Amino acid sequence: MAAELSSILVIVLIVMAISLAFSIGANDETLSALVGARVVKFKIALIIGGIAIGAGMISFSKGFVAKTVGADILGEGITYTYFMLLTVLVSSIIWLVVGSFAGIPLSSTHSLIGSVFGVLIVYALFQGDVNPETALNWTKLGNVVLSWFLSPLFGFLVTFILFKVIAKFYLSRLKGLNQIEKSERNFKWILLLAVIFAEIWVGANSGEALGILYGLFDKGSLNLTEYFFYAVICAIFAGIGIYVAARYVIKNLASQMIDTRPSEGIILQTSSAIILMIATIFGLPISHSHVIVFCILGLSVAQKKEVDYKSLGKMGIFWILTFPIAALLAGLIYSGFIYFGLP
Amino acid sequence: MEDLDTNEVDDKKLAKLSIDELTRLFSENINQQTLKLIEGIEFLVDENFEKFMESMKYVIKTNTEVNIKKKFESKIFKSKLMFSKADRLKLFNKINDIKNIGEFLANKMLLYRIVFPDDTFKLQMLDILKSLKIISNEISEAVKLIGSDLSKAHVVCENIKEVRRSMRKKEWKLITRLYNYDMDYLSRTFLYLKELIETIMMLADHIKNFSEYIQFLATKYLIFD
Repeated sequence: MAAELSSILVIVLIVMAISLAFSIGANDETLSALVGARVVKFKIALIIGGIAIGAGMISFSKGFVAKTVGADILGEGITYTYFMLLTVLVSSIIWLVVGSFAGIPLSSTHSLIGSVFGVLIVYALFQGDVNPETALNWTKLGNVVLSWFLSPLFGFLVTFILFKVIAKFYLSRLKGLNQIEKSERNFKWILLLAVIFAEIWVGANSGEALGILYGLFDKGSLNLTEYFFYAVICAIFAGIGIYVAARYVIKNLASQMIDTRPSEGIILQTSSAIILMIATIFGLPISHSHVIVFCILGLSVAQKKEVDYKSLGKMGIFWILTFPIAALLAGLIYSGFIYFGLP
Repeated sequence: MEDLDTNEVDDKKLAKLSIDELTRLFSENINQQTLKLIEGIEFLVDENFEKFMESMKYVIKTNTEVNIKKKFESKIFKSKLMFSKADRLKLFNKINDIKNIGEFLANKMLLYRIVFPDDTFKLQMLDILKSLKIISNEISEAVKLIGSDLSKAHVVCENIKEVRRSMRKKEWKLITRLYNYDMDYLSRTFLYLKELIETIMMLADHIKNFSEYIQFLATKYLIFD
């Protein structure tokens, strides 16, 4: 009976991980700049984006962010139980759905790590032999949380500096609209490369889905071949997510970006991709949306444009609240599982 | 761009021109018509009615710029360049509005044959027309510069605004003079002159707004280090 339940839970978790990968693709708006600039046809852009996000996800599935979420963040000798993983997923999804209905942009990464934190604290409190102090790898968790503050800051700085350098040595030398148009026409093709580069790192840093699979692999419920097989499925579904669901948000954003210069798109995408790349190499799951918002902020400040600090402040409050709320929610859900004897 | 006779541009030549070249050609064409309109009013001031009629008819004749407009619209519609497309179209339409106001004025002026009240009025009217000629030439110059040097276009537009400010003072002087003549406010001469002054100023106002739009484009597209 217990074995049957375990098998069912493994299947449920795999299905949920694949769904999560789909939703990662479905919520990705990286292609908007490319579609807005009409570099390639809309469907071609979606296919390119889908392949790039999938390639990024699969290329870095062996370790990096997936390993951090699926194993490294846990204390020594601790592995996830099925209900822990289920709780992490359910709690993240609930908080993200609440955020979506309330119109608040939330980070799935913060939500997931917050849920992991909540689950492990409750687990340690209810298991007599586990010390809450050793239930988590505090150093890793500290690095992850630190990266959440540093990544937007570096996104801001990299964009600011990149724009200033390009403006000084190139953009400020363009005098007439003909010259600007010609230059931006050439930039369109570099934008294509920048978006592919960014999309690869978005996929590589999206550790939510693969983190769950890695948790199952670390626990021994999946062998390496099975892990890779499901990781490939996740990558494919992330790509399908872009093609099937993200097209609406991309089209909508792209229509608002008609006036955006391809050169600005290149600066934004390259900056965010660099931050995502560094974070991925260090195995740190960060929020792509937070980074891109600060990159846009960096560009606006560099261009001396007005910044809506009020909206930014409101967004910042929800970013900070996401971790504790997700932790609390996950703690409550997991307490319920434990209460019913399902640890 | 090779020097094209703006009155005799055939379809094949137009097809070879870029969006910027078409805009410049259109602008030159409209400027010529505006200058002809001004010249016509000057003939009216001189009471040379034959030449006045000739000039007004030239302004109303619309064949060439309609062809340029059609070619431009088909080119911009198919253009792959996205980020400046809407601004290019708006720019073109603003040039077209100069033509519309000029044509409106020319038609209106043909309604009645007028004789100006006195020499002072005539001189003041010629002074306003001189300013209108300056801003018409300068807006055409600014349009030409958009493609090659937005900073210079910005400076030219600043001058247009300055001239337009001085025109406003001249307008009030003329209107005040008109209202103080001993004639019935319902007389055709009064109405004609009042509407003539107001429509000239409408044209000047449009050129000023257009110059502000060019300055907006310069601010939007130029990046300073």
